Amino acid sequence: MKFRAKIVDAACLNHFTRVSNMIAKLAKTCSLRISPDKLNFILSDKLASGGVSMWCELEQENFFSEFQMEGVSAENNEIYLELTSENLSRALKTAQNARALKIKLTNKHFPCLTVSVELFSSSSSSRIVTHDIPIKVISNSVSIYLPALKTMKSVVEKMKNISNHLVIEANLNGELNLKIETELVCVTTHFKDLGNPPSCNTSQDRRPEDMAEVHVDIKKLLQFLAGQQVTPTRALCNIVSNRIVHFDLLHEDVSLQYFIPALS
Amino acid sequence: VLKCWMNGSQVKVFGKAVQTVARVSEALWLDPSEKGLALRSVNSCHSTYGYVLFSPVFFQHYQWSASATVTDNDIPLNLNCKLAIKSILPIFRCLTSLERNVEKCRIFTRSDKCKVVFQFFCRHGLKRTHNVSFEESQPLKTLLEKNMCTNLLMINPRLLTEAIVLLTSNQEDVTFAVTPGNFCLKNSSEESLDLTSSVYSEMFFGPEEFDFFQVGFDTEITFCFKELKGILTFSEAIHAPISIYFDLPGKPVILSIDDMLLEANFILATLSDYPSKASSPQSLCLSQARRSDWTLSSAKASKSRNSQAPESISRTAAKRLFPKDPSKSSSTVETKRASVNGDDISEVPETVVSDTEAGPGSSHPTKFSCFGAFYSEQQEHVSHPLDSLAIASDSEEDASGR
Repeated sequence: MKFRAKIVDAACLNHFTRVSNMIAKLAKTCSLRISPDKLNFILSDKLASGGVSMWCELEQENFFSEFQMEGVSAENNEIYLELTSENLSRALKTAQNARALKIKLTNKHFPCLTVSVELFSSSSSSRIVTHDIPIKVISNSVSIYLPALKTMKSVVEKMKNISNHLVIEANLNGELNLKIETELVCVTTHFKDLGNPPSCNTSQDRRPEDMAEVHVDIKKLLQFLAGQQVTPTRALCNIVSNRIVHFDLLHEDVSLQYFIPALS
Repeated sequence: VLKCWMNGSQVKVFGKAVQTVARVSEALWLDPSEKGLALRSVNSCHSTYGYVLFSPVFFQHYQWSASATVTDNDIPLNLNCKLAIKSILPIFRCLTSLERNVEKCRIFTRSDKCKVVFQFFCRHGLKRTHNVSFEESQPLKTLLEKNMCTNLLMINPRLLTEAIVLLTSNQEDVTFAVTPGNFCLKNSSEESLDLTSSVYSEMFFGPEEFDFFQVGFDTEITFCFKELKGILTFSEAIHAPISIYFDLPGKPVILSIDDMLLEANFILATLSDYPSKASSPQSLCLSQARRSDWTLSSAKASKSRNSQAPESISRTAAKRLFPKDPSKSSSTVETKRASVNGDDISEVPETVVSDTEAGPGSSHPTKFSCFGAFYSEQQEHVSHPLDSLAIASDSEEDASGR
């Protein structure tokens, strides 16, 4: 996994810093998803039902003069990290009057996001400040095609009467389960032979039958499903264990992405 | 007897010095002499020592006359004035208003009443008088020579202050790493980072940013962040560059400001490199609990000690020469070592300090090595052959005890 990016424009730097400050104010830890054309900040604070969730997307070419990344595998070209939001915003504060800012993924004693700032200094040489922000690389993520949304919706609607939260789990064998569990009863609906998109993580050291699971608020899931009037051209979901579920729908030329963070 | 006068702007500088030295511990020594007026303080675990000397030319008027001599050698008795910080600090709290309003400030001593009097003659005919009681007590002084240090850097304090602000740190320690080619300011390295660790930051300076850059060998020293900040503020306030003298890790770092009118030295203990001794605290700035453990263990250790020749000799010598005044000695444990409070004066060479730490059951890490070598002035009055023995053991090669 590799990532290096550089910002040289002062306005872009300020903008990026402001985004980071905003995220630091909203959540203690956040997930950062790096893909070839964008950065997503996803609040991964475990939220009780009724809380606010957020995700933030930046087109990388609006900020970075240089941007190179290499994901886990050629098919699954993304990097998923977790970090303490305040660490990033404090490191960026250094860069207020910087000549250039470089961010890269490093692994010194521990995986880090290294922010390297080149400052103007009084003498001819510039001063370099580096900050190593410890991160956690998130794995255990499964992508799977969704069953018919109408079916999912009717199942979840019935489940809503029994429990407030539900577990969505899926594996690389094309199996997806929706489970609810209360003191009195457990109900699971199994969907099979759904198929996994080719961008799935094949290089990881995991068996295809291993499930990635996430607990979500049933109302949020239902809200998403109820909103789908038309069958999409393509519908898939990406589950990052215990972090977030990401629904990716394509209707003709309209793309809809819906993120539901995991419950605490 | 001390008598000196200052104007408003001099009071501001003097007050700044008081504030800076006051950060070190609960007590401050006012030590006037023919060289000028010195402020001294040392903290209870002897990891920080602050000293500011105002030369006589700093003042509008400076008069120091020693009182009656005591010994046969006609050596004058110094005024050993120990003040509580909470008595003196409020006097110099609002420096900008002092500078604006004070036309003249008089400081004089009344040894008959054990008081130091600070009189401010302010605008509009106002006169403010503070009578501060002092306790007669020997201040600790240090034998350390700046010139014995291999590495010396001199820099505009503003640059370091800016750098420190950028180190996004809530850690207690800071590390200076030097090579002949550059200087690096960084957080002290932690071996294992995890998601909850703080950010590790580094900032590099080239030699051209320094007024003077002399590095004998590559080295890294780690010491208390908070102390450094206080000293840099003082240095900036008097618009003088700060000189940093240091050596191997474990040896103290000396932060020094040398102006025509005043001289300031702050000596801070640095984290030692010796991993074998004891548990390693992440920070040099020991919590109160640890400090008391340490003093207790040192008391135990010293009792059982027979083998450490220099220490026992100097201690017995001290006892023979200067009988302890039981009424004055406060913390009995501390007086067994280089005494801050009492009249029990002992010379404590560097090796002794570290050996104490290695005593049985001592959980106090040697890392917290101090700049032992404290002595009290009265030693000078009696040239005892044992004194030189004790001094001789305070040599840089003598690190074996650790």
